[in-house]
Amino acid sequence: MGKLRLFVDRMSQPSRAVLIFCLANGIDLEEHLVNLAKGEHRKAEFKLINPMCQVPAMDDNGFHLFESHAMLKYLVCTYPNIKDHWYPADLRKRAQIDCILDWHHSGLRRGSAGLVMNSVIAPVMGRKLDPQAAAEAEALLKASLGKIETVWLTGNGKFLTGSLQPSIADLSLACEVMQLQLLGKAKFSDLLDSNPKVKNWLAAVERTLSPHFSQVHDIIWKAATMYENKREREARKADGTISKL
Amino acid sequence: MGKLCLFVDRISQPSRAIVIFCLANGIAMEESEVDLLKGDHKKAEYKAINPMGLVPAIDDHGFYLFESHAILRYLSSAYPDVADHWYPADVKKRAQIDCILDWHHTNLRPGSGGLTINRVAAPLLGRPLDEKAAAESEVLLKASIKRIDTLWLNKEGSFLTGNEQPSIADLSLACELMQVEFLGEEYKSELLSPHPKVKHWLDAVEKALAPHFGDVHQKLKAGALAFRK
Ligand SMILES: N[C@@H](CCC(=O)N[C@@H](CS)C(=O)NCC(=O)O)C(=O)O
Ligand SMILES: N[C@@H](CCC(=O)N[C@@H](CS)C(=O)NCC(=O)O)C(=O)O
Repeated sequence: MGKLRLFVDRMSQPSRAVLIFCLANGIDLEEHLVNLAKGEHRKAEFKLINPMCQVPAMDDNGFHLFESHAMLKYLVCTYPNIKDHWYPADLRKRAQIDCILDWHHSGLRRGSAGLVMNSVIAPVMGRKLDPQAAAEAEALLKASLGKIETVWLTGNGKFLTGSLQPSIADLSLACEVMQLQLLGKAKFSDLLDSNPKVKNWLAAVERTLSPHFSQVHDIIWKAATMYENKREREARKADGTISKL
Repeated sequence: MGKLCLFVDRISQPSRAIVIFCLANGIAMEESEVDLLKGDHKKAEYKAINPMGLVPAIDDHGFYLFESHAILRYLSSAYPDVADHWYPADVKKRAQIDCILDWHHTNLRPGSGGLTINRVAAPLLGRPLDEKAAAESEVLLKASIKRIDTLWLNKEGSFLTGNEQPSIADLSLACELMQVEFLGEEYKSELLSPHPKVKHWLDAVEKALAPHFGDVHQKLKAGALAFRK
């Protein structure tokens, strides 16, 4: 049996979720970088793995799968010794995890990815920044963070639905929230400060999945610093222009 | 013991999917209408069931659940008489169904839902029409139909991934596609004409789930017709 092959770009939040899951659970894997900024996801050879041309995707000894949530569920059920808390066998607990993951697509993800794409990274992907789309996404993002705070972080446990241990929903949503680092420190704090439970939850996910969570996010810290510097340079340039006037 | 309670409005595609699922599987239930046009979904008593204020949601003896895909998975597993083809226990088959359902959220659904809302139905929900959003959704809808054709209807069986029997993914996507009835029969035929396999699949779903599929779509068809007059 060959190793599980993961096709990912660590700049992508669902890619990180799948990768961290494997590392945290000791699943042996081969990481194949599909560099989004270089357009590698549109190459014919990757299309054979994922016809939708998106990361993440996987090849488990000839079985191809895409969509990160489907991949996480598959890995939980296929690899031995994965602890029950990741995706509980109890039907009602599992249904609540499914509910959060389904909601994620049209709630948090649409808000977060839409804001980051339209206000920061579009040019890297060969698209244009779109302030109006960014503003709409930001409203959805704020509403979504509020929902996490009030609907799923109400129990005693530190994790979603009041669990004492993280599930695949915690992992998927936490990787999404981490993407907001690209908006800059001030904006990131601003978004989280109004949702203190979300802030604690994120720290708990990071701590519980240490060192993998931080290591896999290393690329995001670096990219965040790069964008921050760029913003500062541009601000200084603008200041310069004003003082010259 | 009370019955499973479904909070639905049959003009909503994910609502229809769960009603049809229960009827086709003989799951005893009570259908409680949450009238979207009257804004019932925004009332405090409904938000106690689904804090997102959307339909569908269920109350299974005190267990509240929303998100139609999560509901369909839950019902498939919690009700013992549901046949395996709906949500196969085989992990690889199940993973493919999960993949389609996840894909649905960001492709067919915003395509079809976005088009019908923004081109015709928004005023019914008290929102303005938005032709730019409608046109973008239409592009996504067409691309999504093509994906269904080439990715999941490329094998022998009549149903998605080449199955001989429908799964919850067939049901969910078929109910979604039916929403374009809002734009009229003609529009729907035109939309499907480049993709005979998709049309054939939609007919197969309707036939396999007769009479429930047709019955539950009555409200949509009648509503769409009245609305277009
Ligand atoms: N719902 C998918 C989303 C996948 C996705 O949107 N991937 C992005 C990166 S985060 C991508 O590959 N984008 C490339 C493109 O859209 O061109 C999942 O959860 O796996
Ligand atoms: N992802 C959800 C979608 C639920 C949803 O969007 N429901 C719509 C009707 S189809 C709704 O309740 N809309 C009311 C509104 O937006 O105010 C599911 O599959 O259950």
